[in-house]
Amino acid sequence: MTSRSTTVLVGVTSLFAGLFIPVGNAQQVSGPVKVVQLTGLVGVKDNAKGTLDVENGQLHFVHGKASTDVSASSIQDVVTGADSQRAVGGTIGLMSMAAPYGGGRVLSLFRSKIETLTVQYRDADGGLHGAIFTMPVGTSEVIKKELVAQGAHTTAAGDSTPPASSSTSPSKEQKQ
Amino acid sequence: MNRILSAGFRLSLFTLIFAASPLLAQKTRPAKIKAAALQIEMIQSDEIKLPAEFQVALYENLIRQLGKQGFSHVYRDGDRNAASVAGLVVLHSTVRGFKAGSERARQVTTVSGATSITIHCQFTSSDGTSLLEQDVNGKVRFFGGNLKATYDFAKKAAHVANENFFTPGRE
Repeated sequence: MTSRSTTVLVGVTSLFAGLFIPVGNAQQVSGPVKVVQLTGLVGVKDNAKGTLDVENGQLHFVHGKASTDVSASSIQDVVTGADSQRAVGGTIGLMSMAAPYGGGRVLSLFRSKIETLTVQYRDADGGLHGAIFTMPVGTSEVIKKELVAQGAHTTAAGDSTPPASSSTSPSKEQKQ
Repeated sequence: MNRILSAGFRLSLFTLIFAASPLLAQKTRPAKIKAAALQIEMIQSDEIKLPAEFQVALYENLIRQLGKQGFSHVYRDGDRNAASVAGLVVLHSTVRGFKAGSERARQVTTVSGATSITIHCQFTSSDGTSLLEQDVNGKVRFFGGNLKATYDFAKKAAHVANENFFTPGRE
């Protein structure tokens, strides 16, 4: 009886640890960062996973075998933000909504923090484009600083990203 | 016998009236305005603080949805090629209302946490003459992230454009 309850306790602890450790691992990284391109890059599908890097004055997004570059000097604005996403998403997350006794809804309470990087840039004809990336906590500000150092412009001066421990989130309701 | 004939006549008359009413309604619809091309200005949100990702998602979704509606020439904000187009229609969008909502609240409660955004869309000619003004809103009530509201807005705005403007050679 005791061993069974111990097993259950260890299982539950592991589940919670798995959900929250990624936040604790947030760190300042150098080199390519794993990101999801939500929308905006020319020739790249929405929600494409890849890596993002800044080198030789270019914002370099690699997804699969293809890559897309945006010149830092063509970037008019770089803005970072904080957001959150479901810890259990995708098909499993969708299927969990059908779980009995509101089990799926309980899973929705567990969310992992992420950061967003929004970039506005102009193409060769002067047309304005916007691209949105999501990435692990602690990485968006690094990329923003590298971009600004290599010629990108930004309207939001200073650190616009709230710390990971902050309760401020875009999902917080605000009516204006 | 006369009663049956009379009833049959009345039935035919009612059917004719009901069938004809949509046709009459179509005649009263205002004529579409010619738009050789559309240029989309970046979404403005001076009075209301809108997160940058919402602003960009609104803009990109709008351009994409207008392309899907069949507008073959959709120019971006600042595109120099648009300057030489005769019959250019420019879409100016200004945020009038924004409620960020909460995806977590939506998923847990279903009934609360809706994200909504209201945008004033003004279509003008290249010389600035207003052609059409309308408020369009985007919402996400039950499933999906907050940015899904931008997709909802873009679809509705593109529908408004399609209802009121036509590109020569498209129809």
